[in-house]
Amino acid sequence: MPPAANLDHTLLALADPTRRAILQRLSEGETRVTDLAQPFAISLNSVSKHIRMLERAGLVRRRRAGREHLLSFTPAPLNAAAEWIETHRSLWAARLRTLDTMLQAEDAALVSKPSTSTRKERSR
Amino acid sequence: MSTSQSIVARVSHTFSAPAERVYDAWLDPTRIGQWLFATPSGEMVRVQIDPRVGGCFNVIERRDGEDVEHIGEFVELVRPTRLVFLFQVPMYGPGRDRVTVDIRPLAQGCEVTIIHELAPADAEMKDGVTRGWTDILAGLARVMGERP
Repeated sequence: MPPAANLDHTLLALADPTRRAILQRLSEGETRVTDLAQPFAISLNSVSKHIRMLERAGLVRRRRAGREHLLSFTPAPLNAAAEWIETHRSLWAARLRTLDTMLQAEDAALVSKPSTSTRKERSR
Repeated sequence: MSTSQSIVARVSHTFSAPAERVYDAWLDPTRIGQWLFATPSGEMVRVQIDPRVGGCFNVIERRDGEDVEHIGEFVELVRPTRLVFLFQVPMYGPGRDRVTVDIRPLAQGCEVTIIHELAPADAEMKDGVTRGWTDILAGLARVMGERP
């Protein structure tokens, strides 16, 4: 899956306050689905939907122990978001460095080739 | 700034060149081909730009035999301090990210700050992301044992 699609799932999963609260709860440790539903003023069915979105985003992993479903928080997709930021930071930093180098080269060209006529900005 | 809570890549650079000259380098097709999406081994194939609000740019560079297209639409153009465009690289996804270029004139030269905001794929998530992203990252970073 391309990174952008992964990030979309991550963003969508994080966009809802209930899902963020579920994640906060899970980040304290593995939790049974039924226990997880308790503090929220919504139905187990509704909590299940939220959990499925978190699973789709890879932020939550489910395992079965007998009849219990246990959920845990898997933070790896958040790293993808951090990676996106770092990638784009370094891309823009490199572009700005290239621009700086180009402008300084233009200046240097003007200095090294002084002309008595009125100089226009370099056209190429 | 309302944008500070979405997923944002931010970077600054100080130029010895004056703000006007740096600003103009974003809109001059000859110069853009030399720096904006140019990579050391790439070959610039196309540079088209319509430098007005609502106008678009289209820059294609060939990298390892592959044409990488960069598309933008200008949202704000305020010479010499600010450019804002919606930015898309179709190869990497359908989202149009918002890129803001702030140019702050200094006594000598200028400081440029780029703010690149990841576009949420649809409006549904935008609100929640804007409100919630910082909280969740801060909270989870704590849990993951990182220093704030």
